[in-house]
Amino acid sequence: MDNQNADHSKGVNVGIGEYKTGISKISSIGLGSCVAFILYDRKLKTGGLVHVMLPDSNGKTERPGKFADTAVPLLICEMEKRGSSRRNLSAHLVGGASMFQQFKGNLDIGNRNICALKEYLNELRIPIESEDTGGTSGRTVYFFPEDEGKIAVRRADGKCYEL
Amino acid sequence: MDLNDQQLDMLKEMGNIGASHAATSLSQMLMCEIEMTVPEVSVIDISQVNKYFGEEVSAMVVFEIQGEIQPAGYIVCHVPKLSAIRLTNTMLGSTDEDRDFNEMDESAITEIGNIMISHFLDATAELLGVVMLPSPPMVAIDMALAAFENIIAQVTSGDINEIILFSTELKSTNNDIKSTIVMLPKEENLKQILVLLNNLINPEI
Repeated sequence: MDNQNADHSKGVNVGIGEYKTGISKISSIGLGSCVAFILYDRKLKTGGLVHVMLPDSNGKTERPGKFADTAVPLLICEMEKRGSSRRNLSAHLVGGASMFQQFKGNLDIGNRNICALKEYLNELRIPIESEDTGGTSGRTVYFFPEDEGKIAVRRADGKCYEL
Repeated sequence: MDLNDQQLDMLKEMGNIGASHAATSLSQMLMCEIEMTVPEVSVIDISQVNKYFGEEVSAMVVFEIQGEIQPAGYIVCHVPKLSAIRLTNTMLGSTDEDRDFNEMDESAITEIGNIMISHFLDATAELLGVVMLPSPPMVAIDMALAAFENIIAQVTSGDINEIILFSTELKSTNNDIKSTIVMLPKEENLKQILVLLNNLINPEI
C-alpha cells in the first residue's frame, strides 16, 4: 500500500504517451519538456495521469496520449468511463521544463506543451487547480488519488514538495 | 523501424570506430587507460525510454549532428554526476569528491564532451565518406531521463514512436569514471547511413 514514505516505493510508472487511471499511486519519472497532465475527481477520489510529449497531433490518431490536443479529451473520456462527472474534475500540470537554453522560441517544447494543455482545458472548462511547470529543472511526479489527490514532486536538484 | 542483424552489425561497427576514437581522446586527456564496451544498438519504443535512463543526476553534453546528412539527429555524451566530478578532479588535480557540481565542472565537462564527440563524429564521417559536424555543445546537468525526453521530443517530431539508441560505455578504472555516448539518429537519416555502410561492404554495386 502507499504510505507517506512513498518516494522510495515504486508505483505504476507512466511512460511517454501512456496514461493510467485509478485510485492507487501513479508516477511519472524524469519529466523534462514533457508534461504530466493529471485529472482528479474529488468526489470519487479517483484520478488519471497522462504523459504528454508534444503540443499538437496534426491530425494523427495513433497514441493520443502523446499530444496535448488529443490527451485532454482522452483522459476526460477515460475518467468518465470510470464514472466521473466532468464537473468534479480538476486538472493539475507538472513538467514542461526547458532544459537547454538553445532550444528557444518555437523549439521550447516544454512551454508549448503547457500552453496547449491550458488552452484545451480552458475550452472544456476544466479548472487548473495547481501547477508546477516551466523552469529549467527535470521533475518526477507522484500522484495519490486515494490520498485526497495528493501530488508530490521531486526536482533534479533534490528538492521535494507537495502541490 | 526494423533493423536486421546485418544492419545492426554494421551500426555496431560504426559505433565501435567512433567510440574508440572518442576513447583515445579521453585517454589522452586523462592520461590513463580507457576501457570500452562493445557498442549496443537498440530500437526502443518511446514509452520504454524510462527503462534505459533513470532519475540520477548526470551531466549531458548534447550536439546536433550537422553536415551533409542533415538534420541527422543528436549525439549525447552522458556522464553521471559523480563521474563528472571525478573527471574534472582528475584534470585539475583535486581530490574533493564530496561537493556540488560547479561552473568549473560544467565548463570542463562541456569541453571534454566536445572533444570526445568531435572525434567520434570525425571517425564515423570518414568511414562513411561524408561530412558530419557537431553543433556547438549544449549542456544540461539534470535527471538523465528528463534531458533525453527533451531530446527525443526534438528528434521524433511527432510521427515517430521508436528511437534508435546507440550507446557505448567508456570506463576508466584508475579513476572510476563512467561515461556513455548515445546517438539518437532521425529515422530517415539512419536509412541514409545504412545505405552508405552497405556501399562500403558491397562496393561494386
